[in-house]
Amino acid sequence: MPAESGSVLLVGVGGQGVVLSSAVAADAARRSGFDVKQSEVHGMSQRGGVVSSHLRYGPLVHSPLIGAGEADAVVALEWNEGVRAIPALRPGGTLIVSLDRIPPPSAFVDRHGGAVAYPAVAPDTLRRTVPDVRAADATSVAAAAGNARAMNSVLLGILSPLLPFPAEAWDGAIAANVPRAALEANRAAFAAGRALRFPAAPAPGTGRPRRRAPAEPPSVGSVDIVDAWCKGEDCAICVRACPEYVLGFEPDARPVRAVRPDACTACMLCEILCPDFAITVRRAAVPAGPSLVAAETT
Amino acid sequence: MTAKALAAATGIDYREHLRLPMMPHILCPGCGHGIVLKALLRAIRSLDLDWDRLAFVAGIGCSSRLVGYIDGCTLHTTHGRALTFATGLKLARPDLTVVVITGDGDGLAIGGNHLIHAARRDVDLACLLLNNETYGMTGGQVAPTTVPGSVSTTTPRGATEPPFDACALVTAAGASFVARGATSLPLELDTLIAAAIAHRGFSFVEIESDCPEYFGRYNRLGRAPEMLQQQRRRFDEVDETLAAKRFVGAPPHAGVPRLRTGVLHERKT
Repeated sequence: MPAESGSVLLVGVGGQGVVLSSAVAADAARRSGFDVKQSEVHGMSQRGGVVSSHLRYGPLVHSPLIGAGEADAVVALEWNEGVRAIPALRPGGTLIVSLDRIPPPSAFVDRHGGAVAYPAVAPDTLRRTVPDVRAADATSVAAAAGNARAMNSVLLGILSPLLPFPAEAWDGAIAANVPRAALEANRAAFAAGRALRFPAAPAPGTGRPRRRAPAEPPSVGSVDIVDAWCKGEDCAICVRACPEYVLGFEPDARPVRAVRPDACTACMLCEILCPDFAITVRRAAVPAGPSLVAAETT
Repeated sequence: MTAKALAAATGIDYREHLRLPMMPHILCPGCGHGIVLKALLRAIRSLDLDWDRLAFVAGIGCSSRLVGYIDGCTLHTTHGRALTFATGLKLARPDLTVVVITGDGDGLAIGGNHLIHAARRDVDLACLLLNNETYGMTGGQVAPTTVPGSVSTTTPRGATEPPFDACALVTAAGASFVARGATSLPLELDTLIAAAIAHRGFSFVEIESDCPEYFGRYNRLGRAPEMLQQQRRRFDEVDETLAAKRFVGAPPHAGVPRLRTGVLHERKT
């Protein structure tokens, strides 16, 4: 995060406190002597819709809007919104995301209902797209600190070390913006979030962080495909089931291809779920990577 | 989902048990029946059965086509009468392990009578009923298991009749082993099928499968990946850490009762 200016995108779902968090962060920037502009979209909030807030600070800010690929950090109060906001991050930006999941109305799926499902993206999968993911079970952390609703302050706490605002600016901003009855809970939640520790992001270019020596084989599985048996894009079970996005289609659709063969972890899902006997997974040794989820406060 | 089941899934070459000249099979893209056939082959492997003493009997329908691809002793019979032929086979050759593959139309409509009497007699058969809620092979007509409200070619405004609960039916009729599995829980399926084959007496496994081509398309349920995901939601599969969160609750399930998977009834004989 540059010390003199920065852009933070806050996203979430109506009622979670996106706008309040954004106001607190903007006030903290102002108290730290920065020019700051903030703009939010909250039209759908009362119906459980999405809320997003753009926040930019610096010596002089002309526009509050953050373009695609320009945000230094995205703070997502809801998991799906965080995944959705990844394109806003600049390369090397930080994704701070809560593990809270609020299914959007279109994902209230039953046998006769909606047609989309809540995206099943695991935190460790995000690491491939965003090196620095800081995922936390913010609601549980906030509940432990006194009030589950202060989860937005937990995420601000995680954000705070990345921004050049002194602690007293944050505290003053929280005191000035949070309703008095919830103030102590939010202060405690902010402190708890600030105390969370995350695994260090890998240095640029190193790809997936490793615990073991680089002599280990980089890929633990490989996928064999019987082209003549694959029924192609109309099936696509394997493509959607693969948690590592290994499989995909070329523009001519059939058959399926291993488009990211090195990412295969030999979990076998594609082979077990392929109804056409077209996929065979070969397994090698299994290295383990560090988890991105902060387990405890320190 | 046991480590044992996963180990069984990793060590098998399915091609050893398929009639390769018949492949690829005729089932539509995304049809769940192929997932069941894989689970069946894994289950047989886990039981270490002699393929020469194993017979597969099927009637008519998409699910019944599966026996045509198994490189073993198979019998493709008349519509609804798979259990009848299987009963005769078992009486003539009691040394055989007989597996019946049937569908919801084959087993519950035209063959419904044979199903309840096979269950009543507690014949030593393993019957797998692949339930995709529709008649896929003939173009998506309403089936005895079609959930009310579902669109089919014969119920363009939605089915109105209550569906069969096949597991409750055969339990009441006298089957000594009744279980339910689903293609979205494929490794659990291995253990259920293996237990059904090992059980002495009439063992019945209803397997929720998906027909994306007819049932899914008519009811706008998406293609196979979406249908598999939705199938999971029928089985209360919200994991505990998510369920404990205050914002996450499984949305109420409109009209369709939640289904239990696993062994529903077992009586040692």
